[in-house]
Amino acid sequence: MSGVTGIKRQGSAALVGYYTGWVVLAITLLMAVPLLTSLLLREWSAALDFVIGMSVSMLVSCLLIACGRAARRRGAQLDWKSGFAVAALSWLVLMVLCAIPYRLSGHCQSFLDGCFDVMSGFTTTGLVLTQDLDHLSEGLNMWRHMLTFIGGQGMVVLALGFLGRHTSGAYQMYCGEGKDVKLLPNVKNTARIIWRISMVYLLAGTAALFVCGLFIGLPPLQAFLHGLYIFESSWSTGGFAPNTQNMMFYHSFAYELITMVIFILGSLNFGLHYAVWQGKRVEMAKNIEVQSFVITSFLACALAAAKLSQLGVYTNAVSVFRRVVYNVLSAHTTTGFGNVYARQFANEWGDFGILVMTIAMLIGGSACSTAGGFKGLRVGIVFRGLVADVRRVLSPERCVHIEKYHHIQDCVLDDAAVRSSGLIILCYTALFAVTTLLGVWYGYPLAQSAFEAASATGNVGLSIGVTQVSTPALLKVQYILAMYLGRLEFLSVFALIGYVIGGVKKTCARH
Amino acid sequence: MCKTLKLCVLTAALAAVLAGLAAAADVTAVNELVDRSLQWNGKTVAIEGEAIGEMLPRGNYAWVNVNDGTNAIGVWMPLADAKKISVYGDYHHTGDTLRVTGTFSRDCAEHGGDVDIHSDSVQIVKTGGAVGHPVSGGKKAAAAGLSAAALLAALFCFGPRAKRR
Repeated sequence: MSGVTGIKRQGSAALVGYYTGWVVLAITLLMAVPLLTSLLLREWSAALDFVIGMSVSMLVSCLLIACGRAARRRGAQLDWKSGFAVAALSWLVLMVLCAIPYRLSGHCQSFLDGCFDVMSGFTTTGLVLTQDLDHLSEGLNMWRHMLTFIGGQGMVVLALGFLGRHTSGAYQMYCGEGKDVKLLPNVKNTARIIWRISMVYLLAGTAALFVCGLFIGLPPLQAFLHGLYIFESSWSTGGFAPNTQNMMFYHSFAYELITMVIFILGSLNFGLHYAVWQGKRVEMAKNIEVQSFVITSFLACALAAAKLSQLGVYTNAVSVFRRVVYNVLSAHTTTGFGNVYARQFANEWGDFGILVMTIAMLIGGSACSTAGGFKGLRVGIVFRGLVADVRRVLSPERCVHIEKYHHIQDCVLDDAAVRSSGLIILCYTALFAVTTLLGVWYGYPLAQSAFEAASATGNVGLSIGVTQVSTPALLKVQYILAMYLGRLEFLSVFALIGYVIGGVKKTCARH
Repeated sequence: MCKTLKLCVLTAALAAVLAGLAAAADVTAVNELVDRSLQWNGKTVAIEGEAIGEMLPRGNYAWVNVNDGTNAIGVWMPLADAKKISVYGDYHHTGDTLRVTGTFSRDCAEHGGDVDIHSDSVQIVKTGGAVGHPVSGGKKAAAAGLSAAALLAALFCFGPRAKRR
């Protein structure tokens, strides 16, 4: 019996490698896009960086697939834990492989900085350690923004789109990436729908930004490239931009408004997009996530605007809208586009402004969207659970209350839903606390450390100035971990850790 | 007579160097402006840095973004001044180095709260030009070797024989 279990486990581990290999292969093939961009724009050195990166990634993916093929033929099945481990392992392996062009470009001072930026892209965070963005090749810029776009939709989701007959545990892998809405009965079709929704918005959003770019004076090629990059960043709630100044580069209210619309849309649940596409417009008003987002974002914007106006930081309504509302919404949707300098948060916004931003960043956008954070759904469920408990206490004992909430369909608010939402919020809070503590340990002020920790944990990308090349390596690693855990919502990473510990125990027992 | 001449030449050279240093000292780093924006707000400042990206014209004026190595900032200048800039920095180019004197705002009322400089004068200190990105022999060899290995691995893994296996 134990022998059979042993074979199953061995097969299962190899199977995790096998599917990880396919996910790696999918992303490897996409490196052809920045390679082609570099070739078209005569960036020969950058093109070679991608040839090297692609080759190494291809070798790794082939190795993983070859090692796992036998296990798959033996009929090993992907269980829940293995599915989660595939998602978690894919992100780690790809972080290292995708950092190769970054490091070779000479714009990252260490491989760790390259890995940091890749993880920041994949997790749609947007914190940057790449230096001299103004002189970056278009190939690398294309790659940076593609990574954030792919990460927003999900790498496993992308791989599922064209894996065809290769998957047996597709749903497990899909959930492992922090997505749980099944838009269609078949998970592969769900993955395809997610990509279809994103591609339709990609066309419309890039076109809008392209036209606006032409109006603000960008030449046609630059207007197109900036439009594409900024769309990818906004829709994925990423926050990367092709220039040092981020949104300040454009000096345009219209450009900011378009990005604001895109990142709010990007922060909404794919299930909600699909429902609206199918004509169920009432879903927009009834959905608990939308209600939660409207309430928390209105409160955050109003509080920040009132305080910063009172402090005299911004003196007129246009400034307040462009600098306060824009940045608060960017934080709340976990986008991370900024049109003020990082140090302005620290020096001008005051403790109250920083606190509002920190809370907004932690709450984040919707579940099963490109956004990070606790997610509006969980905040809404926990809040409704609290209200239900208070009502239950105040009601006569014989009275039975059934609390409901609407999220794509009417759902009964049971204790299990409240508990699981509460647990994830607790995990986020613990991660945020540990990350803040480490920042304070390295000598950063508490408010600034908390701001940066919330930005990494909630996958936001706004910086108060802590994230720099000179940041201690251990703190950079902690931020990578925070982005990774925050994006995958803990469970997949716990599954991977369980796998590794199980493997080590088995090896120790054998010897 | 010769000694007096030498002394005069040395004094003139020293004066020129000191004048240059004084001018350089007048220049404020963009990060300094941002870090102490309340203190610099509304004051006349001078910055020196590379014109980057593109000129963004707005009627008779234009935005030019200037990066001094510490950070980048938008400069609002007459279109005629902006048109004097021949090269903007990107992957293939180092942009013209500008010396801009103007009024710094941390919450520009005219531009929706922008942190910017409205220029009084713009000088091109150094003309930019093309940047070469030489590719080392090692990189070429690594690319050739690794791509050959990757091709073989792909054939082994996905080729017709792999399907039969």
